[in-house]
Amino acid sequence: MSAATTETLDAKRNPMWSSGYGHDAIATKTLGFWLYMLSDAMMFTALFVAYTVLGHTFNAAGGPWATAVAHPGTAFKETVWLFSSVLAYGFAMIALKKGSRSGVMLGIAAALVIALGFLAVDAHEVMTLFRMGATPERSGFLSAFFTLVFYHGLHVVVGIAWMLVMLVQVAAAGLTEKVVYRLLNLRLFWHFQAVMWVFMFTFLYLRGAIV
Amino acid sequence: MTHTTDNAWQHPEVQLAGGGYVVAYVVGLALMGLALWLVRGHVGSPLDLGIAMAAIAAVAAIVQCVLLLHMNISETQIWHTVALVLFIPLFILALGLSSWMFHGLYRRTMMMTVPHAAAAPTQAAKTGG
Amino acid sequence: MLVHIDGPWSPLLGRLALSEIPYTNPILVGTFIFASLLAVVLVGLVSYLGLWRTLWRDWLTSVDHKKIGIMYILIGLVMLFRGFIDAVMMRTQQALAVGPHSPGYLNSLHGYLTPYHFGQIYTAHGTIMILFAATPLLVGIMNILVPLQIGARDMAYPYLNAVSLWLTAAGAALVMASLFVGNFAHAGWFGIVPVMELPYSPGVGVDYWMWAFQLSSIGTTLGGINLLATIVKMRAPGMTWGRLPIFTWASLSANLISLTTFPVLSVTLALLALDRYVGTHFYTAGLGGNLMLYNDLFWIWGHPEVYFVILPAFGMISEIIPTFSEKPLFGYLGMVLASLGIAGVSWGVWLHHFFTMAAAPAVNAFFSITTMAVGIPTGVKVFNWAFTMFRGRLRFELPMMWAVAALFFLLVGGLTGMMNAFATNDYMVHNSVFVVAHFHMMLLLIVYAIFGGVNYWFPKVFGFRLEQRFGKWFFWLFTAGTATVFIPMFALGFMGMTRRLDYVPFPQWGPFLDAEVVGIAIYVLSAVFLVAQLYVSFRDRAANRAGLDAWETSRSLEWMTHSPVPFYNFAVTPQVHARDERAWRVEHGVDGLRPERYEDIHMPRNTAVPLWLGALSFGLAFGLVWRIWWLVEVCSAAILALIVIRSFDHDTDYTIPAKDVERMERAIRDVPSGRRVSGDLPDGVPALREGL
Ligand code: HEM
Ligand SMILES: [Cu+2]
Repeated sequence: MSAATTETLDAKRNPMWSSGYGHDAIATKTLGFWLYMLSDAMMFTALFVAYTVLGHTFNAAGGPWATAVAHPGTAFKETVWLFSSVLAYGFAMIALKKGSRSGVMLGIAAALVIALGFLAVDAHEVMTLFRMGATPERSGFLSAFFTLVFYHGLHVVVGIAWMLVMLVQVAAAGLTEKVVYRLLNLRLFWHFQAVMWVFMFTFLYLRGAIV
Repeated sequence: MTHTTDNAWQHPEVQLAGGGYVVAYVVGLALMGLALWLVRGHVGSPLDLGIAMAAIAAVAAIVQCVLLLHMNISETQIWHTVALVLFIPLFILALGLSSWMFHGLYRRTMMMTVPHAAAAPTQAAKTGG
Repeated sequence: MLVHIDGPWSPLLGRLALSEIPYTNPILVGTFIFASLLAVVLVGLVSYLGLWRTLWRDWLTSVDHKKIGIMYILIGLVMLFRGFIDAVMMRTQQALAVGPHSPGYLNSLHGYLTPYHFGQIYTAHGTIMILFAATPLLVGIMNILVPLQIGARDMAYPYLNAVSLWLTAAGAALVMASLFVGNFAHAGWFGIVPVMELPYSPGVGVDYWMWAFQLSSIGTTLGGINLLATIVKMRAPGMTWGRLPIFTWASLSANLISLTTFPVLSVTLALLALDRYVGTHFYTAGLGGNLMLYNDLFWIWGHPEVYFVILPAFGMISEIIPTFSEKPLFGYLGMVLASLGIAGVSWGVWLHHFFTMAAAPAVNAFFSITTMAVGIPTGVKVFNWAFTMFRGRLRFELPMMWAVAALFFLLVGGLTGMMNAFATNDYMVHNSVFVVAHFHMMLLLIVYAIFGGVNYWFPKVFGFRLEQRFGKWFFWLFTAGTATVFIPMFALGFMGMTRRLDYVPFPQWGPFLDAEVVGIAIYVLSAVFLVAQLYVSFRDRAANRAGLDAWETSRSLEWMTHSPVPFYNFAVTPQVHARDERAWRVEHGVDGLRPERYEDIHMPRNTAVPLWLGALSFGLAFGLVWRIWWLVEVCSAAILALIVIRSFDHDTDYTIPAKDVERMERAIRDVPSGRRVSGDLPDGVPALREGL
């Protein structure tokens, strides 16, 4: 073994125990939540795999195909709604930077209302398709298409519910450590929806218009 | 390093917020609008359009990841970025390899319906025989 | 939107009716009586010993990573037992039902199990062994060890950790419930579509399978997040990446797999659920669905999953071999890169489970080559272990015996895996028992590593060593059993015997199947010695007490705190100086130094919320299985409400003042009693109890 074997260390100069050591609770929470968001992205990926595999004309089984169900114009409207809501939440975070409780609440409230706008357009679009007879049970293609639409929509619903809870918590508890990391996590969640939407818009709605 | 309740909002991750959000908003909408315009106007062949759209989507996603999700290599964000960078190849693997295997599979099993199947006579002959 | 199902349905009980209880099947009735008796005995025992309060306060509501780990391991052991019984039934059925003249019992034409019942048994066996035995056992071990190895007080999210545990428990309970209420899937553990689709399996079996799988999948994904964040964020000062213990690296690699692939499994199962409940066409044979999509998605998870279970096993072997070779691990960096490499490559090989799908030749060739590439990092590991032992002072104590034996299984399993990896070759052996023998070699490697790990770390967790004489008997008998079961199975594979046969058409296979039954009998015999080992160890625990380092030559951080580990792990967070910190301290003569000053410790408070979440998830899944919609609605609403209510709870942590830490430390040092179990507070400090 090494030459150091017999030599005893001075425990004063080489501390054996570390004092005053704590973990950054906020950073720990946001990392975990970000990992969760990435696993969610993997779920989106799996759904996109299904959509790719079931995206051919023969997967429509004689029913409506991408050209009929993907409406890029409506989808662009949804884009505007969603991105605006994301921006509003961004303003809430800028207010948080200054510790402004009312600013945070205002931003979240705005994001929430705009998100409802997104949902309204989304729901209207889906209802229109349903009335056309384009339902998830119609074909493998439509199953994959609607599952992606609903999965994204579900995220928006969850986001809205979470915003409601956070409005109450900011009002009741103030900007405590717990509230702050949740606001940060919700930022990750909400801003992440914008990134996912880019792929939804491009590969679900626009691609349908090309072919 | 632990943060007490009264100054939690001074945490460095909160301080990341800023004007980048507005830039991300404008760039994101502009890129999506551009893609919509290209598709609506049928500028180019479907293949060209497909490639252009994929490129636009990639740029938009990167802009949003950097400006909205603060993907960078600063001390606060490095692990978030590392995690994303580790995930991206897996997204590509899952999608790419799956479409590759089904592309081949459909050519060999759905000969009546896949338009390009005729272009691969040798393979088609093998399965048919 | 809901698919209409023929047959009785009532709003109150859904599809559930008295006729769904299999009280006419003597095997199930026997099992039920056995399970009830066991339950009565357990309840009686706990009441007699007055342990209800302890059970509730110290275990069921605990968020302590060590206790959660132990509970994971208990679930794993119970399910291992259940899976083993399934195996016994399959082996005996196949040995009995050979040839057209073989007799039939219990309404069965041949043997004593009807084909439908046999199908449920092999499906349950695979599902249980992979998801509810191997996975919980390994997750439990990682749970206990990783925080200790990196010098943390707990996982990054102790509450989430408990949630993962109870979700897994709910999944396991669901599989068990299917024994007595309704039936289980009969289409293989990996789900053969379209057999799994509603028209071909209209019963509840597939639903049981699907939701149990789903619960375990969600639990494991959350567990993966927790472990990764713990390793990244909770390391003690000085615990740099280059000093991380090798088991922690292995756990990191494994959980990279679980975090990235279990979400795909969740989607795969959710799409199957959509097909079965709302009539979509993802995996159907008609209307634009594609049944190969199921295989694609399932194995994107399925193959990485086998590496998720094997990497922690590799990690344990890598810890055991240096200790009993009295040398540092050879090629640390190579080992780390190999673990990460295995995790990476495992993501690009999944098609080898359906080479016969008829993908284009280039596709098969690609996956053939990537599959073989896994051999490279695996080979690196094997050589590193060999070089660690080379010129070491080898001590063949029990953990070392299990670890070294595991390497032989790695060899056999790996080489047969390579044979499967040739697509051309696989066309021959696919769906034969050769494949079954292959992956059982791999899974036995894991079992061996687990037994090695349990023997190795048992004194750390419980404070006393396991007895070795009965332990060695168990080892040798278990090994004899393994050889007797699986060598004939390889032979049968080459003779062309296919998997999942409830009736064996060729009498010349009979002798091999009889040999396998003999092997199973040896397994049963070996279990007797396992029980004896545990009993004797517990009886003589005072004599077998272990100090900080039970093996005298251990190397990593977990051996620097008390055995059993107090609930706060380390009285003061250690400063890390070297890769093998404990070995380093021993070398420098600073081993066993006591901190001169204690500090306040922040700990998470116990909570019953995770337990309730698990119970409600069980209710939700049970409701979905039987289509009891009110139960589904009530349980989902309650789950959401509970999550929101919990988020308003501000009182989730507490502080142990420094002087109490000191008092407890002194009590632990002064009273080295063999009676104390992990996390138990010494008698001197009852006041703290109230805070928990
Ligand atoms: C060098 C490493 C390995 C190689 C090259 C390999 C190769 C293969 C191949 C090609 C198959 C498909 C055979 C067929 O169905 O026709 C297979 C099946 C299987 N392998 Fe491996 N394998 C390896 C390691 C492992 C490990 C580490 C495990 C588990 C811990 C494992 C578990 C399985 C299982 C469970 C199956 C069969 C699944 C099923 O059909 O039910 N393998 N292996
Ligand atoms: Cu595999």
